[in-house]
Amino acid sequence: MEKMRNMTSSAVDPLELEQVRRRVFLALFVALAVALHTVEVLLPNPIPWFRIGLANILALTALFSYGIQALWIVSISRILIGSLFLGSLFSPGFLLSLGGGIVANILMSFGYRLWQNKIGPVGVSVLGALGHVTGQLLIAWLVVIRHPSIWMLLPFFLLFALISGIVNGLAADYLLGSLYRHSAFSGLKSNYEQSKYPIKEGT
Amino acid sequence: MKAIGWVARLTPFDCKLLIVVTVLVALSFLLPLSQGAGARVVVSSDDRIVFVAPLDKDQRVELDGPLGITVLQIKNGAARVISSPCSQKVCIHMGEARHTGDLLACVPNQLVITIEGDSDGEDAEYDFISR
Repeated sequence: MEKMRNMTSSAVDPLELEQVRRRVFLALFVALAVALHTVEVLLPNPIPWFRIGLANILALTALFSYGIQALWIVSISRILIGSLFLGSLFSPGFLLSLGGGIVANILMSFGYRLWQNKIGPVGVSVLGALGHVTGQLLIAWLVVIRHPSIWMLLPFFLLFALISGIVNGLAADYLLGSLYRHSAFSGLKSNYEQSKYPIKEGT
Repeated sequence: MKAIGWVARLTPFDCKLLIVVTVLVALSFLLPLSQGAGARVVVSSDDRIVFVAPLDKDQRVELDGPLGITVLQIKNGAARVISSPCSQKVCIHMGEARHTGDLLACVPNQLVITIEGDSDGEDAEYDFISR
């Protein structure tokens, strides 16, 4: 390990290098998340309020590479910058997006922390997707339509979220799989690999 | 073979979690389905109830919203929006509402159409209407 680090960066403190890498990759993840979000909004959509939430792929990747703090940085930055691009900053749609994002992040953080080394990207993604629709509906109920009947929509939202959560989780899994083959990620204590290939006792 | 390919990418814990979550989502569908046929249509706008009618009497109603007139049709015990001035026409695509608790909403025109049952137990709301 030490040998490899010295090869990629002579005369640089490995800890500092790791920090710089973290910053650069997080910035890259935010940029990609904003781009994916924008493309997704521009795509024609058969069901008006349903989105796959492709940007969450990058938030999941950040979570499994750099931890819970990185998850919040990527997803909250994505919501702020994304809505700035689309001109929906501080509109009701932005509030829905922010509320959904916060509830999703809380669930994902809890799931990741609680079942550390056991839960994989798909599990966290599904938790996040379900949290997202619940949070959105909560905000919709509080801000837009003050009527309890709105909760009747929840089962349909949850079903769609379940499917999109699995799809996003798999996408994040593929992305993490190929990222970890690169040496830039070799220095990380990888939660992803531990969940994927748990160290078997006795071997 | 392809169908098994993606399952292999899950951790054993993910599989268990997925099964539990799928069951919970399936159960959540049963909640609204347990409701019977509704008795009346209640339309509210901006927290105020603007229109109430029984579901068994066929009629057409023109509802006033900030954007213009949304036309609601009550026919054969079901309510549906047949025309609306909003841009996305979500309310029209929502189709029929006939069971207690069913909801049609036109967010741009600030109209929420709900179906209430006969013995709903929601006396507070009923008092509010009859006031």
